[in-house]
Amino acid sequence: MLSRINQKIAVILAAIAGVYLIISYSLPKYPNAIIDADVVPKGLGFLLLFFAVLLFFDKKEETKAEKQKRHLSKSNLLVLLAVLAFILIYISLLEILGFLIMTSVFIFGCSLFLGYKKHLSNGIVSVVFSLVIYGLFNYLLRINLPAGIIPF
Amino acid sequence: MDAFQGLMSGFQVAFSLQGLLFVFIGVFVGTFIGMMPGLGPISAIAIMIPITYSMDPTVALVMMAGVYYGAIFGGSSSSILLNAPGVAGTVATAFDGYPMAQQGKAGKALAIAAIASFTGGTVSVILLMLFTPMLSAVAVSFGPAEYFALMFMGLTAISSLSDGSTIKAFISAALGFIVVTIGIDSQTGTSRFTFGNPNLLEGIDFLVIALGLFALAEVCTLILNRKDDTMSNNQELGSLRISKQDMKEMSGPMTRQSFLGFIIGVLPGAGATIASFIAYITEKKISKKPEEFGKGSIKGLAAPETANNAATGGAFVPLLSLGIPGSGTTAVLLGAFLVLGVQPGPLLIQDRPEVFWGIIASMYVGNIFLLILNLPLIPYIAKVLRIPRPLLISLVIIFSLIGVYAISFNTFDLYMLVAFGIIGYLMRMFSFPAAPFILAFILGGMMEQALRQTLTISNGSLSIFLDKPIALTLIGISVLTILVPLFTNKRKYTAAKAEKEQNIS
Repeated sequence: MLSRINQKIAVILAAIAGVYLIISYSLPKYPNAIIDADVVPKGLGFLLLFFAVLLFFDKKEETKAEKQKRHLSKSNLLVLLAVLAFILIYISLLEILGFLIMTSVFIFGCSLFLGYKKHLSNGIVSVVFSLVIYGLFNYLLRINLPAGIIPF
Repeated sequence: MDAFQGLMSGFQVAFSLQGLLFVFIGVFVGTFIGMMPGLGPISAIAIMIPITYSMDPTVALVMMAGVYYGAIFGGSSSSILLNAPGVAGTVATAFDGYPMAQQGKAGKALAIAAIASFTGGTVSVILLMLFTPMLSAVAVSFGPAEYFALMFMGLTAISSLSDGSTIKAFISAALGFIVVTIGIDSQTGTSRFTFGNPNLLEGIDFLVIALGLFALAEVCTLILNRKDDTMSNNQELGSLRISKQDMKEMSGPMTRQSFLGFIIGVLPGAGATIASFIAYITEKKISKKPEEFGKGSIKGLAAPETANNAATGGAFVPLLSLGIPGSGTTAVLLGAFLVLGVQPGPLLIQDRPEVFWGIIASMYVGNIFLLILNLPLIPYIAKVLRIPRPLLISLVIIFSLIGVYAISFNTFDLYMLVAFGIIGYLMRMFSFPAAPFILAFILGGMMEQALRQTLTISNGSLSIFLDKPIALTLIGISVLTILVPLFTNKRKYTAAKAEKEQNIS
């Protein structure tokens, strides 16, 4: 039934359109508006549903390049997930430990993990880059990045 | 203020110390980021937006424009040296540029590309200067119905012209529009699709989308290809010298493609990429020696390079005169305008002449800077390409995170950024183009407002579009651009790709 990858995607998209439509229909009414807030979302929901149906019945075969593009080896997937985890740790600790510490650690750690072996230049780049960006934003642009546990 | 006076006041902005400095920074950073394989002008502009927050809007926009055409310019270097285009608009440059570099004539190829880009860029600025005020004058009389129709046309055009499946492009556009409906509705105050989360009330910031779908998604691709050692490819550049004979050969394609590229750039949906492919194909068709194309032909290199830079100038026409971007890149650029509180459109030329003429005047200066940057400094800039990928990846991730944090000071938006990064990567994986998504996201809010204003005027009746000849024509064209490719599924673009493969084999 769901032989082609496009058909699987089409089903997911149709589900998204369905949920979106249900919420659109339950939006509160505003009595004085001629065109209320739910008109455009309803239209969009049906439009997405329509395109999902078209995609489902689209007979075009995937090209070789397209097939290759979605091939992802297990080791590569793990690398991507690890970087994702690094980013999530960075975000969750950014406001607690501060920009300088987190950014230096992130750049050094992430580059090391991805295979950068020159530890000295890695260390210099990560610290100098963090300091320059922090200085640029806080003092020149007056956009305060989180200081965290460092008092300046 | 007439055009001449306007341009003079623009040059005052461009030639001020601050103006010169920021044009230079813009084109330099643009060239730098554009050269990185995988990072295109959208990422370049999005990464630079946070830097402009506290700047004077005129200077900031002059810089952002520089980033844009600098990125297109820089993309050609990595196309020629590595056969790894940094930008889709320079893919066609590699067809003849890379074979030339392999023959040991990399320096010459870079010089030809620089001169062709300069010519295309400069001619298109002149045309931009002539046509934008004219279009602005017409557009002043446009009401919401015409605006809705124009934006609708832009959206359908980019979807039907984008690479790959048309249906997927339309789905991408529909999703972009759906995402922009999240937040408080500006006309009734109803909160839509926020699930009670206060962080979503103001909607999702466009920088979250731009950096997520483009920069972070590109990071994923960079991570997967991080062991690709083409980056360390250290080859001799050879002489930069171009003979008189070469110049003669270049002049034909440069003249033709400057104009053709500009026109294609003005059209909604088409842009640097399509302009460069069409330039390559037409020059090959009219050439007396078409067999040379693909083997290091000077014409084959000059044509797409002229056209992609000319198209970049052309893309500014609808952006500045109508306030409607015609491509993903100009959509992000529009976002940069709006962040700075400048609304491009027919009134820009009257309300903010210093911004309007400043940008145009700075493009003359910027093109000269690019020529200077690219000719003598090329050997040094080429070293940029040897920056270790793991480090580059970490830096791009940090830039994206800071960019978002600096607008919201809220980690919620950072999680959203990561979510859109994942969505962007999945879209790439399953061949959904991202440009229609970002364009729909930028245009969506304006389109909804225009549509509702139009229908409020007519008391809810769609027949109002029948009474407006301009709007009706535009919608008619849009419907055709949807229907024709859905049923024929044939595209010039794929023809060009087939030709490329033929050339290589």
